[in-house]
Formats: sequence, C-alpha cells, structure tokens
Amino acid sequence: MSLGGRNRLSILDKPLSKGKGEVSLSCFALLFSEVVQYCQNKSTTLPDLQNRLHELGRRVGVKLIDLYFVRERNGKRETKLLNILLYVKSTFWKALFGKEADKLEHSNDDENTYYLMEKEPVVNRFISIPRDKSSLNCAVFIAGIIEAVLVGTGFPAKVTAHWHKGTTYMIKFEESVVGRDSQTDER
Amino acid sequence: MSRSTRFDTKKVNSELVTLTYGTLVAQMVKDLENPDDVSKQLDRIGYNMGIRLIEDYLSKTGSGRCLDLKDTADKIQTAFRMYLGVQPNVVNWSPAGDEFSFSLDSNPLTELVELPDDLKQLKYCNIICGAIRGALEMVQLDVQSWVVQDQLKGDPNTEIRVKFIRRLEDAMPAGED
Amino acid sequence: MTVHNIYIFDRMGTLLYYQDWNRLKNSGMTKEEEAKLMYGMLFSLKSFVNKISPTDPKEGFLYYKTSKYTLHFLETPSGLKFVLNTDNHSQGVRDFLQQIYKEIFVEYVVKNPLCNLNEPIQSELFKTKLDAYVKQSSVFLTKSM
Repeated sequence: MSLGGRNRLSILDKPLSKGKGEVSLSCFALLFSEVVQYCQNKSTTLPDLQNRLHELGRRVGVKLIDLYFVRERNGKRETKLLNILLYVKSTFWKALFGKEADKLEHSNDDENTYYLMEKEPVVNRFISIPRDKSSLNCAVFIAGIIEAVLVGTGFPAKVTAHWHKGTTYMIKFEESVVGRDSQTDER
Repeated sequence: MSRSTRFDTKKVNSELVTLTYGTLVAQMVKDLENPDDVSKQLDRIGYNMGIRLIEDYLSKTGSGRCLDLKDTADKIQTAFRMYLGVQPNVVNWSPAGDEFSFSLDSNPLTELVELPDDLKQLKYCNIICGAIRGALEMVQLDVQSWVVQDQLKGDPNTEIRVKFIRRLEDAMPAGED
Repeated sequence: MTVHNIYIFDRMGTLLYYQDWNRLKNSGMTKEEEAKLMYGMLFSLKSFVNKISPTDPKEGFLYYKTSKYTLHFLETPSGLKFVLNTDNHSQGVRDFLQQIYKEIFVEYVVKNPLCNLNEPIQSELFKTKLDAYVKQSSVFLTKSM
C-alpha cells in the first residue's frame, strides 16, 4: 500500500503488545455509557437495543480470541467443553477485567446450559439495578463477548445476560457440542 | 507507563477500551457513511465524556481553578496520565501563549488500529479533542481542539492542538441580574 | 452532633438533590421556593464575601454559623454546590462534603449513564449510598448532647 511516498510502518510490522496496558475504569465506564446511548438512539425497542449491544460485544469478542490465544497460548485452543468454560471464567476474565468471574454452575435441568455469575460486572458498576429487574442489563455487551469467544473457538452457544444474583450469564450450548464432548470422553 | 498514579484510580485492561472504542467507530462508519460525520460525532461523544470526566478529575485531585493556560496544560497532562495511562508532551506554544499542543507517542485508543485507505479523512482521535473541550467548558474555559498530526496517517506522533477562546462567566441565579 | 440536611445544586442553580435526616423545623415553603432562596443567598453571599474581602479571597465563602446550626458550603471548580446543615459542634464537615462529592456524587451520578447531570437525581443507588454514607460518618454518629 503506497501512501504518497511516506514510509509507514504497518500495524503488522510492529510486534504485538503484551496487553498489559491499563486505562482508568472511569474512562471505560464513560466510554461504555456513550456506547449504550449511541445504541439507544438507534433502537426503537428494548430488545433492539439489547441486540445491538450484544452484537457490538460479539465483535469485540472475536478480536479478543486471536489476541489472547496467539499471545498467551501460541495459538493453541481448547478442545474440551469444561476447559474452555474454565478458561473463560478464569484466565480470560482475569486478563480482561482484572479478576476471575465469581462462579460457574452447570444447570440442573439442562445439560446444555451453564451459568456464569458475576456480582458486579464492570459495565454495571455505576448503574442502579432496576427494582423490577425486567429492564435492560448492559452486561448483555459482555454476554456478546463471551458468545463470540465460545463460538469462535468451536463451541457454538447462545449467551444472554440476566439480573440474577448480580448478573448471571446464561450459556446455552448447541446440542452437538455436549454430544461431541462426551464422545471424546469415551476415547 | 501504566502504573497507577498517586490518585489511585481503578483500572481496566486497555485493550478492552481499545476494542470497545474501535467497535463503536466501526459501527458509526457503517451507520453514517460519511467519515466527516463520524469525526463530528466522535467529537461530540468525547464532549459528553469530558463533562463527566472533569468531575472525576476534580474530585480525585482536589484541584482548584486554573491560574493560567500553562496551568491548564499541566492539568490536562495529568489527566492523560490518569485516564489513558500515557504521558504526552506539551509542545508548540503559540507566541501569544493562547495555543498549545499535546504530543502523544503512544495512545491506547489506536493501539490495534489501522485505517483503511477509504477512511483516510476520518479523525479517529477526535474523541480526545471533544473530551478536552467538554472538560474545560465545565471549568469556564471555552477552547477549540483539533487533531494536527495523526499516527494512524503515518505521522510520527499524534498531535492535539488546544486553542483558548475565552473565559466563560458564572451563571446567575434565575430572577437576578 | 447532628446532620440536618443536604442540598446539591448544579452550576445553573438547579436543585439536583435534597435530603434531610434530623430536620426539626420546616421553612413553610415548597421545596422549590426554598431551593431558589437558598441558591440566591449562596450566590449573593459568595459575591459579597469576595467583593468585601480585604485580602485575596482565595476560596471565599466556606460556612456561616448561627446560635443553633452551621451551614457548610462546598463549591467545586465546575460550579457544583454542596450545602450541608449541621449543628455547631460538627467538625471536618468541609472534608466530609468533599468526600461526598468524590465517593458518592462522582461514582453514582457522574458515572451513571442514566443520570443527566443537569436534572434532579432519581437514582436509587445514589440515594441509598448517600444515606448510608452520611449515617456512618463521624459527623453523624457522634451522639447529640
């Protein structure tokens, strides 16, 4: 790509940063609040707004997969369901939010469903939790990130965010994922 | 560079910010089509953040009103360190002392970013200009701010210019003059 | 010692928040009238204090005191005004106001995307946090005589 004679160093020529940089939480909180407002202005309904935030989260997640797996694992990915979930809960969460997620649970009723809980997601820290708990949970953005990471690493799932014990992310894997996992177990 | 400052602010991973911002910009480019409109909107978003960030800054630093523009420049420099974890240089003062620039050699907003050729006029860092303008307006300083040099366009540094316009008056209570 | 009540105004004079804890007597005005009067008084007193000051006024007006109560005033460089009425024994109230600004107002209003900065504060989170913060403070806790 020529740029009028300028010798530009392309981003690909630079080494990948270590990813240890930090930015103030206030700065992120305010940026995120602008993201929410931007989506709000584009949406007519609550589900619409939720979908937009979810979609933006997914796009962030897709980029994080490459960034993290290349940087920390030489590009090697997880093949087992439980391992990828634990990876998301601990290593991934820690790199992104500075701490592990609070809890990971397997649903009693549905073997395809897992719950990841976090008392106070970074995006909700400054937001009043609505009394009726029916309204928007901005952590749907983070649900989007998780979904992209799971889908992108070969564990297709739908991830949603709910007001329950703080915020609970409901991870519902496609049937095939759990089936495949038990098959590889038998070997 | 990213060690916490003496104001002990809580931190998040800068890539979360880089990617969130990048995703927002990409969405806006899609929605608005014209890169100039995107630049304008980024400036407005920065403004909205600036009018809130200033309260955070004032409450954490306990800082009083600025004595002069030099003081203002120093304080914004501190703010860069607090909020973006970078330390720009204050450079290129105008002879009249009413304009100066911040020169950034790194910037978490552009860390993983490459501008495609058809978006060369996009002012990706306009959010910073907006934030400076918004923050200063809250402390009664009317300024203009714009991007002079941009690393995303091949410049060696990113340079953000600030020009003092005027001092704003305190608001009077309703019904008095 | 006792905290009576708090007023928070924005830079345009809008009453953002009011709450009382131990208010024994009411002014007989509506909240709006009272707020307007309070803001007008602060504004005039501030400009009077600065005008009449025999030396550089620096921060200017900080508090006034009657035989029964003290009105403490904190104005941020951004023009937010915090007013706290306490009894006359309370100490360190100005620092306390600065803490309210930093720990409560900035955290739960400024950083809450759902709060507009120039409208009265509706956030339940802010109300609960402020109430708890005032009630656990040393200004509030020390028993009245």
